[in-house]
Amino acid sequence: MAAQLTALFTDDGSDYSRTMVTAINEKRTDEAALIEQAQCQNSRAFESLYRMHIDKVYGICLRMTGNVSEAEDCAQEAFIQAWNKLDKFRGDSAFSTWLHRIAVNAVLGRMRKSKREQDRILAVTELADSGIDTGDTGEMRDLSEAVDRLPEGARNVFVLNAVYGYSHDEAGEMLGIASGTSKAQLHRAKRLLAQQLKQQGFRS
Amino acid sequence: MNDDKLMQAASQLKQDISPERDLWAGIAAAIETPAPRRRMPIWAQAAAVVLLVGGSSAITYMTVKDSRPATVVANPGMIFETASFSSRYTLGPGFQDARNALVAELNVELEKVSPETKADIEVNIELMHQAIFDINEALEEDPDNILLQDRLLRMYREELALLRRVSGLTRNVMLRNDI
Repeated sequence: MAAQLTALFTDDGSDYSRTMVTAINEKRTDEAALIEQAQCQNSRAFESLYRMHIDKVYGICLRMTGNVSEAEDCAQEAFIQAWNKLDKFRGDSAFSTWLHRIAVNAVLGRMRKSKREQDRILAVTELADSGIDTGDTGEMRDLSEAVDRLPEGARNVFVLNAVYGYSHDEAGEMLGIASGTSKAQLHRAKRLLAQQLKQQGFRS
Repeated sequence: MNDDKLMQAASQLKQDISPERDLWAGIAAAIETPAPRRRMPIWAQAAAVVLLVGGSSAITYMTVKDSRPATVVANPGMIFETASFSSRYTLGPGFQDARNALVAELNVELEKVSPETKADIEVNIELMHQAIFDINEALEEDPDNILLQDRLLRMYREELALLRRVSGLTRNVMLRNDI
C-alpha cells in the first residue's frame, strides 16, 4: 500500500507532487522512529502508532464484523497482539499492512468462535434499522449496509479488496484463502450486492 | 449497477472510521501488565530434566554412600562353605546373613588383636569348619541320623557364638527357629 501511494505521488517536478512526496517520506520517517521506539518497549511510542492507525484498523474490523462491540474488541486485540509481536516486525511490508493482517486474523478468530457469525447476522439485522455509524451518507450508506448483509466469505473479500484496496493476493493471504478463491468471492459479492441494491432502487 | 460502478462506489466508502470510545485505555492496561513468561525452548527443558535427574541421583548416591556402613571385605580364607544341613536341608537365609556379617566383622576385629591371638582364633575356627564339613559328609551317607543332625546344629551354634565373642558383638546366638 505504501509503495502504491508513493507511486501515485512520484516527484514529477510540480509543487503538489513534491509536497506529497515530502509528506509521505516524513510520515514514514516518523512512523519508523516510533516503531523502533515501540520495539524497545516504549508504550508512549506505541500509543502514537495506535493514534495513527486506529481508524483504519477499526474500520476494517467494523466492516468485517458489522458489530460495534465486536469491532472494538477486535481492534483492541489487534493492537495488543501487535505489541506482543512487534519484535518480529522487520519492515518487509508496510506497518499498516502488517497491522491490518493482525486485525483481520483477530476478526477471523472471533468469527470462528461459537455462534459469532449467527450473532453478527442478528446484530446486523438490528443495526440495519438503527444504522451503524460508518460515516457514510446517502447512497454510500445503503451500499455499506448491503455489504454488511453479505455472507462472511464474500463480505471479507469485498471489504479488503473493494473498500481497502488490497490485491487478491494480499486479501487471500490475510484471509488464508487462495487468490483464485478471493476473485470468486468478489464476483459473488458483486452479484449479491447488485441484487440487493436493485431491490432498494439504487441508482445505476 | 454494473461492476465498475459498484467497485467505484465501494472505493468511496469510508476507510477510516473512528471508534465511539477511546480503546487505548484497554490496550494500555493489557500491554503494561507483565506478559506471561515465554515457554522455555524444548532443548532447555530437556537440559533442565537431565540436570534435575542427574543432580538428584548424585545427591541420593552421595547420601546413601555416606550413610552406608563401611563395607568390610571378608578374608577369603575365612569364608566357609555355604551352610548346609546334609544334602537334604539347607540352612535359612537368616542364619547365612548372620554368619556372613559376623565373618566380615571378625576380619576387622582380627586386625586389632596380636598375631598370636589371631592365629589361635583362626585355628579354632578352622577346626570348627572341619568338624562341620565332616558331619555333613557323614549326613550324606546317613541323612536321617538324628545324632548327626543334632551334632551339626550344635557346631553351627558354636561357630556363631565364637564369631560373636571374637567380634565383641552382643547379638543373640541363632536359635533352632532361625534355621
